[in-house]
Amino acid sequence: MAIASYSSGDRFHEPAKIKPSSASDLSSFGYIRGIWEARHFWMHLSLSDLRAKWRRSFFGIFWTIIQPLGLTILLSIVFGKIFHSDIADYAPFILSGMILWDFVVTSAVGGSLTFVQADSYIKQCRHPLAIYSLRTVLTNLIVFLCASTSLLVWVLIWRPQNFGWAWIAVPTVIPLLVLIAWPLATLLGYVGARFRDLPHALGLVLQALWFISPIYLEPKVFRGGGLHLLVDANPIYHLLQIVRAPLLQGEWATWQNYGFSFGLVAVLTLLAVLVGRSAEKKVIYYL
Amino acid sequence: MNRISLNNVDLHYHSAAFRERSLKSLLAGAVTGKKIRQGQIHHIHALKGVSVEIKAGERVGLLGHNGAGKSTFLKMVAGLYPISGGERIVEGRIRSLFDLSLGFEPDASGRENILYRGLLLGMSPKKMREIEDEVVRFADLGEFIDYPIKTYSAGMQVRLAFAVSTAVEGDVLLLDEVIGAGDAAFITKAQNRIRALIEKSEILVLASHDFASLKSMCDRGLVFHHGEIVFDGSIEASIAQYKYINGLG
Repeated sequence: MAIASYSSGDRFHEPAKIKPSSASDLSSFGYIRGIWEARHFWMHLSLSDLRAKWRRSFFGIFWTIIQPLGLTILLSIVFGKIFHSDIADYAPFILSGMILWDFVVTSAVGGSLTFVQADSYIKQCRHPLAIYSLRTVLTNLIVFLCASTSLLVWVLIWRPQNFGWAWIAVPTVIPLLVLIAWPLATLLGYVGARFRDLPHALGLVLQALWFISPIYLEPKVFRGGGLHLLVDANPIYHLLQIVRAPLLQGEWATWQNYGFSFGLVAVLTLLAVLVGRSAEKKVIYYL
Repeated sequence: MNRISLNNVDLHYHSAAFRERSLKSLLAGAVTGKKIRQGQIHHIHALKGVSVEIKAGERVGLLGHNGAGKSTFLKMVAGLYPISGGERIVEGRIRSLFDLSLGFEPDASGRENILYRGLLLGMSPKKMREIEDEVVRFADLGEFIDYPIKTYSAGMQVRLAFAVSTAVEGDVLLLDEVIGAGDAAFITKAQNRIRALIEKSEILVLASHDFASLKSMCDRGLVFHHGEIVFDGSIEASIAQYKYINGLG
């Protein structure tokens, strides 16, 4: 009070020092800023998840590579015989489907539990809830990236002729996956906090989606059965094509592939925001 | 300026949160058209028209019977619970100590958890590295600090949580009956630390049933009764009022 002449200058800096808005500000800008401000927290939680996952296991991180690879070899032998496909061609197809679908499934199921598992944090500190779903997605993304190396190596050894300029577009799948999985996980997190049956129901839904999408089965199988719509109008197919077109066919992914993928991003984001508007504040009561 | 300004604040616990917990019961209710036999469960009106102004430098004690709304009040001020009516303005960085033993990553070591909790409280990794040694020393867990949290006893978890949470300063300090965790030696140490933390904070709001600590730490009291503030005055008068309302003589 005695140094009133300085107070106006001091006050100018005050908003940076004290952060009252992060607690009460629910505007979208404040929300996103809250996520950014908590970045150290969710990044470290993600790394902690990964460490916990591989702690005290002999192969550790290599399990993320071994597991899908082993299953792929098994499946491609069986499916290759059934559909008379060349194993060397069919295996990377299955592998690409498997690791990408695994990412979607683990993000969806993990997302539906993410707020429930973070309850002790949510009850103690006010952070945007989306940081907890982001933590889940980030963990799964790192697993996905590790698993992808086996796909890259496989293709480079068996189909080196596919290597070309189109490959520079492959990394675009990473932000797309995050932008799809994050709102999805958040949305399911809101619902999962309210209805604890969600993970079970989700298992069923995801199994059904897997079944009607060209994840392990090639698009030509669907087309052969006259089920063009399950390929052409299926965002999962288009998302997979962003990886598959360059790596497996040596071609650029089409604008349609990107169009459908961004469409999915838009729909899921909109849903998450709409549900979040009322659910974000209520989640704490359901924990 | 740090302050808490509440104007006619209402807070309801939505009954859906503890009524239908599964899709099955919701659907069953919708299909049969019957209310599931749960007795009469309504929204809980936990805070009723609470208006209070707390300015920088004030030390406020909350009194009230169990379920009177003290903890809800603290969590509402912390911004954890959304208010259903009125106006809530809290300026200043909030430091709250509730449910101390919660919020550990069980597979991570004590040292790692110090970092995570610090980050949860809004610290930077750099700052946490600086204070880590001090926290480890205060928690005094010996070699266990490098063991996973799941090997800790409940008391050890509280010690670690307390050591981290109180190492981080804030402008508005919200305490909910945290004093009294751990063994006798630790309690003395903890009380000294709480006092130091209180001295550094601009505003203290403490919920407690311990009149002695209320008297020594607070100068203003709020008496809660069934979700309402029924008395606001000096801490001595508040304690007397609390005893009178609850028939404690």
